[in-house]
Amino acid sequence: MKENKTYKLLFFASFLLCIFLLNNCGPDKREDTSKLLKEQKTDKDIDISKDKVGQMISSVPNPVEMSSLLQKSDIIYSHELLNPEDNIDNYKTNFKKALNLGVYGTNLVYMNIYDRTVGTLPYLRNVRRLADDLRIGKFFDYETLNKLSESSRNVDSVLYITNRGFDDMTRYLIEQNRSDIAVLIAYGTWIESLYLATHVKTLPPNKDLIHQRIGEQKLVLHNMLLLLNNYRSSDNEKCKHNELFEDLLKLKDEFDKVSIEYIYQDPIMKNFKNHIVVVDKSTSKVNINQETIDNIAKQVKYIRNKIIK
Amino acid sequence: MSEEILKALMQLFAIIAKQDTGLSKSERDYVENFLRHQLNESSVKEYLDLFDFYINEGDFTSSEQSKQSDSSKTLEIAEKINNTLDKKQKIVVLVRLFEFVNSDKNLTPQRISIIKNTADIFNICNEEYKAIDTFILEDAPDKLDIKEILFIESGDKELNKAKRIQYPYLEGTIIVLKISSANLYFLRYTSNKELLLNGLPINNNRVYLLARGSVIKQPKGMPIFYTDIVSSFRSDETSVKIHFKAENIYYEFPDDGNIGLNEINIEEESGKMLGILGASGAGKTTLLNIISGIEKPTIGKVSINGIDLHKNINSVKGIIGHIPQDDLLIEELTVYENLYYSTKLVYKDLSDKEIKKKAEKILFNLGLLHIKDLKVGNPLNIEISGGQRKRLNIGLELIREPSVLFVDEPTSGLSSNDSANVMELLRELTVRGKLIFVVIHQPSSEIFKMFDNITILDEGGYQIYYGNPIEAVIYFKELDNQIDSHVGECPSCGSLNPETIFSIIESKIIDEYGQPTVSRKTSAPEWFEHFKEKISIKRVTKFYDKLPHSFKKPNWLNQFKVYFKRDLLTKISNKQYLALNLLEAPLLAFLLAFIIKYIEDPTSNLYIFRDNDNIMPYIFMCTIVALFLGLIVSAEEIFKDKKILKRESFLNLSRSSYLCSKIGILFIISAIQSFSFVLIGNYILEIKGMNFEYFIMFFSIAAFANILGLNISSAFNSAITIYIIIPFLIIPQMILTGAMFNFDKINSVIGGGDEKVPIIAEFVPSRWAFEGLVVNQYKNNKYYKNFYNKRKLESELYYKNVYYITELKRYVEDYKNRKSSGHEKPISKDNLQLLRNEIKKEKQSKFSLYHDYKFEQLDKLYIKKFNPKIAEQLYEYLDNIHDFYNRRFNHVNKTIDDIISDKTRTPEKRKEYLKLKNSYHNKYLSDFVKNKMAPLPLVRLGNNLVQKINPIYLNPPKENLFNIRSHFLAPKKHFAGNYYDTFYFNLIILWLMTIVLYITLYFKILTKLIYYIENGIPILNQKIWKMRIKLINFLTKKTGI
Repeated sequence: MKENKTYKLLFFASFLLCIFLLNNCGPDKREDTSKLLKEQKTDKDIDISKDKVGQMISSVPNPVEMSSLLQKSDIIYSHELLNPEDNIDNYKTNFKKALNLGVYGTNLVYMNIYDRTVGTLPYLRNVRRLADDLRIGKFFDYETLNKLSESSRNVDSVLYITNRGFDDMTRYLIEQNRSDIAVLIAYGTWIESLYLATHVKTLPPNKDLIHQRIGEQKLVLHNMLLLLNNYRSSDNEKCKHNELFEDLLKLKDEFDKVSIEYIYQDPIMKNFKNHIVVVDKSTSKVNINQETIDNIAKQVKYIRNKIIK
Repeated sequence: MSEEILKALMQLFAIIAKQDTGLSKSERDYVENFLRHQLNESSVKEYLDLFDFYINEGDFTSSEQSKQSDSSKTLEIAEKINNTLDKKQKIVVLVRLFEFVNSDKNLTPQRISIIKNTADIFNICNEEYKAIDTFILEDAPDKLDIKEILFIESGDKELNKAKRIQYPYLEGTIIVLKISSANLYFLRYTSNKELLLNGLPINNNRVYLLARGSVIKQPKGMPIFYTDIVSSFRSDETSVKIHFKAENIYYEFPDDGNIGLNEINIEEESGKMLGILGASGAGKTTLLNIISGIEKPTIGKVSINGIDLHKNINSVKGIIGHIPQDDLLIEELTVYENLYYSTKLVYKDLSDKEIKKKAEKILFNLGLLHIKDLKVGNPLNIEISGGQRKRLNIGLELIREPSVLFVDEPTSGLSSNDSANVMELLRELTVRGKLIFVVIHQPSSEIFKMFDNITILDEGGYQIYYGNPIEAVIYFKELDNQIDSHVGECPSCGSLNPETIFSIIESKIIDEYGQPTVSRKTSAPEWFEHFKEKISIKRVTKFYDKLPHSFKKPNWLNQFKVYFKRDLLTKISNKQYLALNLLEAPLLAFLLAFIIKYIEDPTSNLYIFRDNDNIMPYIFMCTIVALFLGLIVSAEEIFKDKKILKRESFLNLSRSSYLCSKIGILFIISAIQSFSFVLIGNYILEIKGMNFEYFIMFFSIAAFANILGLNISSAFNSAITIYIIIPFLIIPQMILTGAMFNFDKINSVIGGGDEKVPIIAEFVPSRWAFEGLVVNQYKNNKYYKNFYNKRKLESELYYKNVYYITELKRYVEDYKNRKSSGHEKPISKDNLQLLRNEIKKEKQSKFSLYHDYKFEQLDKLYIKKFNPKIAEQLYEYLDNIHDFYNRRFNHVNKTIDDIISDKTRTPEKRKEYLKLKNSYHNKYLSDFVKNKMAPLPLVRLGNNLVQKINPIYLNPPKENLFNIRSHFLAPKKHFAGNYYDTFYFNLIILWLMTIVLYITLYFKILTKLIYYIENGIPILNQKIWKMRIKLINFLTKKTGI
């Protein structure tokens, strides 16, 4: 029958179409990723042990320390010092993301210490996004922080959770052989703290305390250089750690003018706003003049602005 | 008669009269008499003056010169009116000229030659000219014996060519002339006895035009109908004889078991018209439906030429025509178009020209030619009158010339004049050998007498009369013992009142106060007894002629073309429908896209695609809008055609060609809608480079909805039901698309939170469409397509590294801890089963090819065999692969990072990179496809671990060959051992669903389902019925009632 024939034809045509569609679009014609799975010799890790890296990173002062010092010294909060929230779209690589995770983290702490909880949300979001992108988002309890930031009464919890988050991230990264990222986060945190401290608009009467704290960073700088040195590579093009290292060397030149007389004392635990903070009790006498401070500030600003660009 | 003819006639009469001897008294009398017949008194005078003016125009000399000028004048007049008159009018003019000449028998050659000249100019063929000549001028019967002539007389002399109708008691002869080319009949009567034509006396020396529907009648006796005359002329045309028989038809209503018809018998043959009469509710239409084969009788048989109608409906269908009570017209088409497309569906071999001719001829015969270009319209929006609609309805059936025609209440709602016209039309058909059954409620006397036979049904479906209509009156009067019961019709006026029959049948018993009671004098069964006793149905000769193929239907493709054209024309002619349908989609697209064009940064005016939170909802709305538009456009399609389909079901046409034509048009509309919607929506929201994919998916879902709509429109029987159904079809689709409600967070009874999409959602087309579009939008956009595979690998490694292996290790660690603390049951059977399952999967995973770590003791992972040593080995294995995943993740992560740093090395490059990302990659859609809101990254379902985060990066497992199910938003789908791109895979699934719906549509599966739901399954019903009877019998016995 004619009708039957038409049906057969229709059926056949649709069958052919299916085959065509499946064949055309089915097998993936995009590049093969399997070569990424093959073990390669270049996957070497750094020379120093994980423990050592962990120790050195923990020597970097906690952002809470510096910010609370500023607050206690009656230094006025200045929002324009912070890394603008919109800058996040500029950070495409892990290198930048890690550095700025540190920067934004420090900003977040700074704002919280100054009870500027209302404006923290974008910074909180940025921290989460960068952490997510670096695949360490699971250590950053965004939901809780978000909830807590609704009221300034919770500042202590916020600071605690933030701190713990950063600590967990660092530990995890080191454990996962990604200490380079951990170092970058620490670097970002440290430079930002230093930046906030060196760019105080009006210095209070007890500026010596701040100056002393700045001078003390000489030791941290030393550790940082050691750490970064591990990640340097002969290939200048590819390795951005090199650039950081060199910038840091220039900063070292300034810090070399600072002299520290160091008297060791056991550190003690101290209650800060119902939260236990380890305070270095070693006394040290820092000799630093205004010119050095200015030069350090200049160099810090240069480095910091390079990071957040 | 029109003014032109009259004027022309006056002129021609005058010219003829002037010839030879000049005007005679009888000629002038003829003219006056003729005018008196045509006009009122004042106009007669006017035209007579005109005639006299023409006569006196020239002088009376009969010189050669004036003869010359007269004949040239004749030519001039004839030529002048030739263009204004149609064929019929010309014939009439010619006949009148002959009659005029004949009025005083002054037949000079000159006069004849003028007539002849006129005939030549009128282009009247010689044969017909001669026939008119003979008909008017001859009196001798042997000279009149030509094929164009019919005698109506009481005698029965032998005739060679002429036809004859025997008419008892008629004095003299009625001579009828037929002019075939103009389809006109003229008559004259040779005696001066009283004879009435349409109630007016016939003058013996005049020629009368026999109008359609005319009745010739002697003061007493049967009338002769126009149709009788027509049929006599055609009696030599052969046609297949039909013998129709319905035996002992018994019918029970299926829903309540009430008796609808009781032992009905009918026997008829070709060329007859049977009226089915009866009070309302007596079962007339039921009977008609049964004898036309639409419904099956409970008991009994209907046969046409020995073929059982209900068993071989398909072989008989073609010769049956059924005209139901409602109009079966396509309202949007014109009268002519309605007929034209019906004709095209019926005749395969005719060219367009022939079909046009045929349709026009039918229209002419129906008297509808002058309104052929009017739209039919509907009863609320009247374009043509009720009578015209009815006639067109009949015409639609007539065009294919069915041999048996069933007509239901053709006169209901028509004026008496229209009724008579319609019935006349049907009566005429019997002449051509058709057998016609007419259900009629209250016929007028005139109509009543047109039937050859009638049958009367009484309450409860009893047949109480069968036979001649006039005798019916006598029969019932006799049974009622009325006086003058032998008289059927009024002796003086010939009319008869069918009402008398019904008043006798239904007459009520009068109580002692003279008030009629509710009970009838004679009940229906009693009448039925009388009927069985007194009337036997006249047996007609049985024919077993082979049934004719009354038409040749066109092939599939041609049917398709006709349906398609007809439908297209219907749609186009409805401007409102067209405009709304074409504007709906772009307007909705604009509305939707404009409203959701969201700029995240409140300080900025620059729209960035990446920051628009509404892209996922937009895609969701696309599928819903497509579904909606598709359904709306199709939901009424078949329902609207239901009546027409009912008629065309007798044509035995291909259902698939009908459906395909419908689908074709709907697809075109949907394609236009899809195109405009996607183009505008995507343009406004700046979704770039995806128009084709959006269009094809939008169109596919609309196409699915089209066919779904056709299904419901063919299954449900009112527009309101259809529109109530639509929310039922749309809302579940909205719920189960996966956009509004996360499949992980719906009721677990229907599969919420399972590894795969809930089964119920597998049957939701909008889900497939939505998933396909979202996956495609995410992974195939210009920015991301270069990253997708690497990101996928990264995600897989990340999941293994951070969640999966860690979780497995936790089970082993738990064991070790419990064991060392001396726990009685350090590990459960289920946990071991889980470890077994997962490690088996791990060993089969693609990653296992890239490392050398092995764990070969799967068979030891049972309660009895598991021990700390095995645990240690297992832990070591897990630790190793954990390390492997960690290294590989770092490597892939770095590689991607390197690529990105490469692309953003310089400020220009960075700008470009950012631009690409901003305009192609939507961050909220990205959160959606990564299931960022998942409460847990992985869950334990039974003894398996199931990944819940990053579904977009997870290929479904190859469980078995034909498993096509997967988790929601899988980037690829599995079938027969291969992976296929989700977009195209889903597209194919959608079309498969569409094909399935087409099949259900073709086989009317939904219709049948609904029928069974409403009426129960027939066999079951019978059983229930029997059980009921048994129960009643049982109870009667028991109680003795």
